[in-house]
Amino acid sequence: MTTPNYDAIVIGAGHNGLTAAATLARKGKSVCVIEKNATAGGMARNTTFANGIQAPEIAHLLYNLHPKVKKELGLGSVRAPLEVRDLPAVSLSEDGNHAVIRNGKAELADGRPHPETAPFGELMRRLTLFAGLLGQLSTKSPPSLEDGLASLDKLTELAGLAKLGLDLKRMGKKDMREFLRVLLSNAYDLILDDLEDGPLAGALAADAVRGAFAGPRSPGTVFSLMYRLGQGGGAQLPLGGMGAVAAAFETAARAAGAEIRTGTGVARVLTENDRAAGVVLEDGTEISARAVLSNTGPMPAMILAGAEHYDVEAVRRMRNQRCKGTAAKVNLVLNSAPKFKGLSPELTAGRLLIASSATYVERAFNPAKYGEMPENPVIEAVIPSLSEPGLAKDAQHVLSAVVSSVPYALEGGWDEAARESLAAVTIATLEKYAPGIGALVSDCQVLSPACIEARTGAPGGHWHHAEMGIDQILTVRPANGMAHYRFGPEGYYLCGAGAHPGGDVTGLAGRNSALQLLKDGVI
Amino acid sequence: MTKHVPIGLIETPFQPRLEALSTAKSWTNWAGYVSPAMLDTVEFEYFAIRNQCTLFDISPMHKYRITGPDALKVVNRLVTRDAAKLRDGRVGYVLWCDEEGMVIDDGTLFRFSETDFRLCCQEPMYTWLLDTAWGFNAEITDESQDIAALSLQGPTSFSLLQDAGLQVVAEMKPFDWREIEPDLWVSRTGFTGDLGYELWVPNGKALELWDRLWAAGGHWGLKAIGFEALNICRIEAGFIAAGFDFQPVHTAMRLGRGRSPLELGFGKMVDFTKGHFNGRRALLKQQEAGLRYHLRKIDIGGFKPADGALIYHKKKKEVGHVTSGVWSPTTKRNIALAEFKAPYGESITDDLWAEVYVNEEGQWDRRLVPVAIEEKPFFINSRARATPPRPF
Repeated sequence: MTTPNYDAIVIGAGHNGLTAAATLARKGKSVCVIEKNATAGGMARNTTFANGIQAPEIAHLLYNLHPKVKKELGLGSVRAPLEVRDLPAVSLSEDGNHAVIRNGKAELADGRPHPETAPFGELMRRLTLFAGLLGQLSTKSPPSLEDGLASLDKLTELAGLAKLGLDLKRMGKKDMREFLRVLLSNAYDLILDDLEDGPLAGALAADAVRGAFAGPRSPGTVFSLMYRLGQGGGAQLPLGGMGAVAAAFETAARAAGAEIRTGTGVARVLTENDRAAGVVLEDGTEISARAVLSNTGPMPAMILAGAEHYDVEAVRRMRNQRCKGTAAKVNLVLNSAPKFKGLSPELTAGRLLIASSATYVERAFNPAKYGEMPENPVIEAVIPSLSEPGLAKDAQHVLSAVVSSVPYALEGGWDEAARESLAAVTIATLEKYAPGIGALVSDCQVLSPACIEARTGAPGGHWHHAEMGIDQILTVRPANGMAHYRFGPEGYYLCGAGAHPGGDVTGLAGRNSALQLLKDGVI
Repeated sequence: MTKHVPIGLIETPFQPRLEALSTAKSWTNWAGYVSPAMLDTVEFEYFAIRNQCTLFDISPMHKYRITGPDALKVVNRLVTRDAAKLRDGRVGYVLWCDEEGMVIDDGTLFRFSETDFRLCCQEPMYTWLLDTAWGFNAEITDESQDIAALSLQGPTSFSLLQDAGLQVVAEMKPFDWREIEPDLWVSRTGFTGDLGYELWVPNGKALELWDRLWAAGGHWGLKAIGFEALNICRIEAGFIAAGFDFQPVHTAMRLGRGRSPLELGFGKMVDFTKGHFNGRRALLKQQEAGLRYHLRKIDIGGFKPADGALIYHKKKKEVGHVTSGVWSPTTKRNIALAEFKAPYGESITDDLWAEVYVNEEGQWDRRLVPVAIEEKPFFINSRARATPPRPF
């Protein structure tokens, strides 16, 4: 047998793939990342419009980048420069009484205190406390009881769970009881227990379900809200656009010694004697390796290796994974800065939310259930060029909008007309808060969940590669018996958002996967 | 087409003949079909199997067809042995497992060709086969309602077939499988460990087949039988039965009730070298970690059938139980299949005792009788394998 070309091959240079590669390379392993697209970064790339205008193609903000990943990869250091700016969230109201959330505190757009400052503060205190508690589980493979207590590894895993239990008790009886009460419930009830059903409640409800095939009344949305609040709930705008984030991850991976090949995708994963042995590229090139990590969704990863290498039950679980994406992306090039009713320029540069109430968010999800286009969608918009004028020229600006509750499987399919209609819905919705914005639009890019799937391979175009439902998280992510990143043949690992802990630009799935692989002694 | 009888069971195509022959009126439910437990008396039927020849209606067996370019791949993904080594026109005993390596069911695999197989088994398996074939270019057809089959077993069975005009079966070796007339397939298989054949026809030709065999049977002592007599023979032959000697894991409600093929003593039927098959990784792991149970053939002292008896080591420690036990009239021994907790039954085989309760005219007595592990089937007769079969 010839010597393998690499210790490990990573399929897909999304941020998790790059994190996995960097983590392995930092341990002295030879790693090659294979990216189908011409550039690395996956969902965290920039797109360029005419006139050289830069806009975040898909993802546009950092919510959840994990400090461990940041530190280990040196993101934001000399090694991999990255500058970010904290943005306040502005939940828009048609009457101009916008709610602003800054550093976890509520206020009004005109600077007056929000009447619900106190209950909101208390709710956020509890939720971030709980989120921090659950966050303990995110930096390791989730604990499993599969083989009993026989091995030291299992005991170590359970120690993590035991610590969670201990910390839970340490919160005090009142908070512990509340945690257990709300954990599996729905965000709608939780939020409206404490808040009036207005823009402030709407903002939390929207954050709870962004990217999910769920409305705030769906069970399990308290968990997804806590997930979103994992790093405190703020949002950061990367300077240079989301592409700068991709570039930082790429730089970190290269600095650690990983090789990155772009432009040709992987056609299949090679196995020998039930062991991952390398990959065959789309152009027929074979590259051998002792381990293969896939940053694709779980089902595509399985197809790459061949379903015949998986037990029937595993295939069935993958076939039945829930991964209907609901987040579409609309990028609008504007001829001048838009004016939102009652917003200062500083707040206009913030994270703008159209989610006037929790009920609005729930209703917005209704059409998606039936494969219909939303009429009044929830939108998260940001105008990066206001914070960073260099991104655009000639007084032009880019409005980047994540439009929620847009069905992946639109009735009639996603054709040009459907995309135009989504753009029209988006502009009409923005028009209610920024009259005249439609007239400013000079160019427009619409990415439906189906387009996002085509561009990135994310199953269903799903934000998290797989729904973050209670049936698909922790020890059952991506599925029962697969939570340790090991994926079928020995030496084949999942390292993307479809694995624990889930999506967002956290870097954790990639990092945890690489660490598990090293712990397993595969390379 | 199928007729329901008042007790909620379906009749097989042979029911008109069975009904007429039944003096015992003892019917049982076999996979939703009405099936005779016995037609006459168990003793008459048993001795007919071993000394004459017998007909048993095996139509209630589930039958599935696996066809298409990837049929062999699907079969090999399903079963633990290598179906590539099974030649066309041959039948193989197979087991298949869930992802934990626990046996879902066992059955017989009939190979028409690399692209065409039939699987016969006890348990309904259609959705499992569909799931197994997902992603492969193969089609699964449920033939259970279309194909009728009779098991003709016993030392005079070949002679009977000769008289029925089917003398071409003479050249068939055990586990051969041929279409000897249009729409009539014969396999030299059975559940008795003796000379015997199974005959397969479309439902519409079932009664014609029965009548043809019956007409030739008088001289050869042909008798129709029920399950009870057959069950004695299969234990004598050392064959395991689903639901008795192992619990098909998909029907088991409780955790840990499944058994692996290794634990059932079928290590030789598991081919780890053929590539991935369902449960392979779990079975490798189990092989490494050690088996939990051993299913063994045992000889039990005395003559009291010990079905269900607990087994003790040194008369003290409970180490297993009998899964199928009978008095074997042919070998004149008290025989059984028994499950032991490892390492009993494998590395510890001495000082084993079965606990038997006997009722002596209203007075119960508890006895511990010695247990000896047997390696070979209890009933072995060279006529079972002779080709061509010796005329009786």
